[in-house]
Amino acid sequence: MIDVRNLSYVYSPKTPFMSQALFGIDLEIRDGDFFGIIGSTGAGKSTLVSHFNALIRVQKKSGTVIVDDIDLAAKKVDLNRLRATVGMVFQYPEHQLFDDTVEKDVRFGPKNLGLSVEEQKERAKNALELVGLNYSEFAERSPFELSGGQKRRVALAGVLAMQPKILVLDEPTAGLDPKGKREIMDLVMRARSMCPTVVMISHNMDEIATYCNRIAVLGKGRVVGVFTPRELFSNRELLENGAVSLPLVTEIAARLHEEGIDIDPALLTEEELVDAILAAAGRRGGDA
Amino acid sequence: MRDVTIGQYYPANSIVHRADPRFKLLIMLLYIVMVFFCDSFFSFGFLTLFVLVTVLISRVPPLKVLKGLRMVIVVVLITTVLMIIFYRGEGEPLAEWKIFRIYLDGIYASIKLAWRLMLLVVMPTLLTLTSTPTELCDGLESLLSPLKKLHFPVHELALIMSIALRLIPTLIEETDKIMNAQKARGAKFESRNPFKKIKAMLPVLIPLFVSSFRRADDLADAMDSRCYRGAKGRTRMKSLKFHAGDVIALLVWCIIFVCVLFLKYNWFGWAFIAVIGL
Repeated sequence: MIDVRNLSYVYSPKTPFMSQALFGIDLEIRDGDFFGIIGSTGAGKSTLVSHFNALIRVQKKSGTVIVDDIDLAAKKVDLNRLRATVGMVFQYPEHQLFDDTVEKDVRFGPKNLGLSVEEQKERAKNALELVGLNYSEFAERSPFELSGGQKRRVALAGVLAMQPKILVLDEPTAGLDPKGKREIMDLVMRARSMCPTVVMISHNMDEIATYCNRIAVLGKGRVVGVFTPRELFSNRELLENGAVSLPLVTEIAARLHEEGIDIDPALLTEEELVDAILAAAGRRGGDA
Repeated sequence: MRDVTIGQYYPANSIVHRADPRFKLLIMLLYIVMVFFCDSFFSFGFLTLFVLVTVLISRVPPLKVLKGLRMVIVVVLITTVLMIIFYRGEGEPLAEWKIFRIYLDGIYASIKLAWRLMLLVVMPTLLTLTSTPTELCDGLESLLSPLKKLHFPVHELALIMSIALRLIPTLIEETDKIMNAQKARGAKFESRNPFKKIKAMLPVLIPLFVSSFRRADDLADAMDSRCYRGAKGRTRMKSLKFHAGDVIALLVWCIIFVCVLFLKYNWFGWAFIAVIGL
């Protein structure tokens, strides 16, 4: 559970470069949520999630963030425990790879947690298998000779090897082709068996609609609202001011509906759409 | 990572900010030579007065300028202490302990040395606070352009410098990002042991190197695809122009230079200079 209360944040306070990124944010992310965060560039998404891992410390008199039972506004925070609880995957995580073999790179996190070598290896193996990389094939290879998609999986494994309970993803599919995007999202869904709570920043409405159960819309450092996907994509105000655009599936459904075909215009996932089209086709076939 | 003062422009609207970078660089050169000609407390005080005036009219908060001093304060302290301990003066020492002897002359000399070092740092700091790296590069290129006659690659040099300067903030940002990514994986950079510290930095330095090479490749491609071919026939969007104020500032500093020389050599043998020429 992540509980954000009245959180504000100012970059470079007391200098001419001072700028306020967050204004009194209130959010509650429950256990088991697949929580989406959307908003235009500069809305404060990255600043907000960086708080969850104490990479950005809560400033004085600027509200609090509570992760499980850890109060991040406290003076001393048990960083080891926090970072084993919250796994953070940044944009382009493959840029963080550094070690000479994939296995050592994935072991970096568990090693920092002070685990035994056997435990480190065990976790590295599990994490690599979880992201769909064969351990015996990849363990001894250099991460720098892998393909882009493989690098990203190794980086993801590096975070999953810490066995976090909450996974925070900052645009996990940026810069990948459609197949790569789907693969990454599939393995995030697989990883949920271990860490059921996921927070995801994304600009991709298709992903938001398909995977998230609750979505916060951020604008200029404030929470515009928290919605279910159905509420979000039927919110006229947000659609009209450009904060939200329709996912492809919903757009197709809406167009078909306009054309007079008997389909719910607020569908969200591909399966729903396929079922609805088949059903509509079936009804037409029956009429004819 | 973010409090490196050199190379951090402080935006403000002042005469010093608006001055032509070529003149600022010339004045800087003159100033540095001048500092080495100062050898009495009076001439140091005299020069410091003008430094203070320059800081005040630049509208940069004096604390910002002092921050630049913070980097050399250790060097200054060490040299001062060594100088006091090992200076061999004439006459009776003030204090004595084993091989160490402290002389009044030594104390004077070390105070002057510290003062000189600080003067040497303050103005360049002010220069980088009041001019953008691009301005400085353009100014330097323009000042060095006579060397082109000798086939010295002035433009290339300026380009290398401006790329290096331009990428410093990018590198700092990138370092921050990678450090955060590794911190999120439990890395600790706060160790006091220097060897452990270096080892802890490896997970940051290696990705940083990799991304620097990638960036360099990208930049070369981008320049190539825009038909970059070096200095020949290249024009500028913003060409440098100097104003009357720049010339006056240079003249003022020339006069200060003459005064400093006068304080040192006392050409006319004026008695009052001999008195204050401690």
